[in-house]
Amino acid sequence: MTTLTGISSKVILRTSGVSKTFGKFVALNNISAEFSRDAITSIIGPNGAGKSTYFNLLSGAFPPSSGKVEFEGRDVTNVAQHEFAHMGIAKSFQITNVFPLLTTRENVRVGLQAFVSRYEIWRPRAKLPGLVDKADELLALVGLWDRRERLAKELAHGEQRALEIGMALAANPRLLLLDEPTAGMSPEETRVMMDLIVKLARERTVILVEHKMKLVMGISDRVLVLHHGELLAEGTPTEVRQNEQVKRVYLGQREH
Amino acid sequence: MPPLSFDLIALQLFTGLALGAIYVLFAIGLSLIFGMLTVVNFAHGAFYMVGAYVGLFLLSLGGNFWLCLLAVPLIVGTCGLIVERFLIRPLYGRGIDYPLLLTFGLSYVMVELIRIAFGKSGYPFDTPEILQGAVNIGVGYFPLYRLFVIGIAAAVLLGLWLFLERTSFGLIIRAGARDPQIVRVLGVNLSRIWLFVFGIGSGIAGLAGLLAAPLQGVIPEMGATILAEAFVVTVVGGMGSIGGAVIAGLLVGVVVSMTSLFAPEMAKVSIFALMAIVLLIRPQGFFGRAGLMS
Amino acid sequence: MNELSQTLTQPVVASAAWFEFAKRHRAFLASTVVLVFPLVMPFTALAVNILIYGLYAVGFNLLFGYLGLLSFGHAALFGTGAYLCGIAIVHFAWPWYAATAMGILGGAVMAAGIGALAIRTRGIYFAMVTMALSQCVFYLFYQAINWTGGENGLRGINVRTIDIFGLQFDFINPLTRYYVIAAFVILALFALSRILASPFGAVIEAVRENEARARASGYNVTLTRLITFILSGAFCGLAGALMALHLSVVPIEILHIETSGMVVMMSLLGGMGTFFGPFVGAAVFLLLENLVSLWTVHWQLIVGAVFVICVLFFPAGIWGTILKRINP
Repeated sequence: MTTLTGISSKVILRTSGVSKTFGKFVALNNISAEFSRDAITSIIGPNGAGKSTYFNLLSGAFPPSSGKVEFEGRDVTNVAQHEFAHMGIAKSFQITNVFPLLTTRENVRVGLQAFVSRYEIWRPRAKLPGLVDKADELLALVGLWDRRERLAKELAHGEQRALEIGMALAANPRLLLLDEPTAGMSPEETRVMMDLIVKLARERTVILVEHKMKLVMGISDRVLVLHHGELLAEGTPTEVRQNEQVKRVYLGQREH
Repeated sequence: MPPLSFDLIALQLFTGLALGAIYVLFAIGLSLIFGMLTVVNFAHGAFYMVGAYVGLFLLSLGGNFWLCLLAVPLIVGTCGLIVERFLIRPLYGRGIDYPLLLTFGLSYVMVELIRIAFGKSGYPFDTPEILQGAVNIGVGYFPLYRLFVIGIAAAVLLGLWLFLERTSFGLIIRAGARDPQIVRVLGVNLSRIWLFVFGIGSGIAGLAGLLAAPLQGVIPEMGATILAEAFVVTVVGGMGSIGGAVIAGLLVGVVVSMTSLFAPEMAKVSIFALMAIVLLIRPQGFFGRAGLMS
Repeated sequence: MNELSQTLTQPVVASAAWFEFAKRHRAFLASTVVLVFPLVMPFTALAVNILIYGLYAVGFNLLFGYLGLLSFGHAALFGTGAYLCGIAIVHFAWPWYAATAMGILGGAVMAAGIGALAIRTRGIYFAMVTMALSQCVFYLFYQAINWTGGENGLRGINVRTIDIFGLQFDFINPLTRYYVIAAFVILALFALSRILASPFGAVIEAVRENEARARASGYNVTLTRLITFILSGAFCGLAGALMALHLSVVPIEILHIETSGMVVMMSLLGGMGTFFGPFVGAAVFLLLENLVSLWTVHWQLIVGAVFVICVLFFPAGIWGTILKRINP
């Protein structure tokens, strides 16, 4: 019953009172939030606000010290990382994370293969139907089709980030989690990436963590502001922009 | 089989502690080097073996055991310095497996060089005269030399602790084990510290070999066996933790001596069973990898 | 400028096509080498040794080269294969093929046991735990004297003829023995090539390349490692079983730490992560051993030094370096 209401519900992901401590250090303190389906939600905050920790909890990289994470009504707090892709949650990492010595196409093909065959040791993988075509399709979508034969490590930084998104899309996710997708990018690359994110968000829910506030204000439906591991504010971009506390801790310190 | 009395068990416990003291000395060097350099030194057993042979050689020249206690760690430590500087240093940044592979190959070379110099068969190593005999430790007579080994190990640990806690050089080592980046930012030359730590670690391994020699004799292969056993100590105690190495080393020594009392045929296998249990319950070992001395 | 760059890339493209061809038919090409090999060797017994140790190294390389896990306990898998094959023949009078199957199974089961414990640890612990556990296996076999002969080794594995499909091969004749063993090695090579080309082969590469990404892509990294370890164990178990048939004894030294170290050396010397490298490594190692032994008993000194030089200057190994030259 819960699953049924979960899927039809407007809330795709919910955290209830999650905290994370590393030794004595409290990285995240008692955060409760809901993320709407088919929207772009951005998590912002200055350096050390706990954004990445929160992202890791949402994407299952490690479990919270306390609290609960629910995806479509299902408790996923202690679900293993590799199960997330199979549930329909995909992510891209903050630091570029591709398979460097595989070709660009193979990177995406491996991502697709996870949903077709994982432990077969005898059938030639060339005989798995349609994976290469599907991979090329995704590469075209993220603008890397003409680079498909290159090794991933030979791609430019911006291209590697795009490849990572292509790999995340291989899971055909209902929820796409992006950790600072434009980190280290040139203004031109950043613009291309933001366009891509908007395009992808038409068909799925997107949650992104971003350090540069200005960047996400224009495209987000909702914004969460973290500060010192606490949830400082939450609302539409306009509401957040006008929030006095946010102005004080975030805008006041000037963007870098 | 003699009747099992409380005294017998207590004596066996002390035997285990003496054996454990050797493990501790061996394993702290291994842990110190890993904690700082993230190098698993597969030549550590070879340094241990070289320590015993250097002692043997010095004694044959007419030196005495007390001189050896000083000279062996210095000589073996110097070998360690040379190895780090010229063989391991070029490999930093090439991935964690390469220094491991290199030190493994090096141990082959060292063992063979010793075989060339001293022959393939082993030698007995006499307990120094003044340390022969036994003393009454309350529960019965206990070999004086084993007591001496425990004492030396304790002294080395104390010295190491004072050095790491009370000197500025020690402070840098501890900081470097926690976060090499910070130390580098502070303008400290890390490569010199790594060199030094490798030297200390190998020196202590050499000392352990010397101390073990009167108990077990001296053969070129003596390093390989203790290396596998020291890995058990490291896994049980937690890699990179000196506190873990001390507690796990003593524990392993006691487990070996107790099983050889109660179930001699299980003595060799017992410590691996201990390791298996620790891996199942707490894969990161007693003290995890939380940095040096913590 | 454009023309220049075109002429520069031309030969690379040509050799890439050749390279692709070679890669597709790697098992076939390797088999050809195996078939003509004894004809160029000084004596057949050495060729048999190279064949069996080569297979042992191939099994090890599946784990080290393709998956990136460094095990220092493969002697336990090799040795278990040899002992179980030997015990099946000596104590139970099993036919040779059943005993060989027993060896393969033994290697795989031992790998499952060691792997289940060792894979709980991360990174650098793996080498240490596998080494310690294989030392434990050594003591277990050493003490089971009634089954293994303890220090004296397991004696009396006398297989005189090998019958396959009604044909009888004289196993005493060195050259026939070589080709019988070669048949198994070739089958194993084809199996390995097939595994590497399978979907699971792609998962192995992905896990080696980037563990976190593989996990995020939906692959169970721990399970992948365990399965690969077991497959590696099956290959090494087969190598061990063939060793038992070849030597007609199983010496206890087969479980020594040196036997684990030797396969690490062979793989790295030949070129880890290459299909044929382990054979090259085994051949170089054993030829070096035989050659150096002619003038000094201290061959380990030379082998160790060569290995150290290889780690320092040729981490891709002999075969790996050659492949890089051909296909940069």
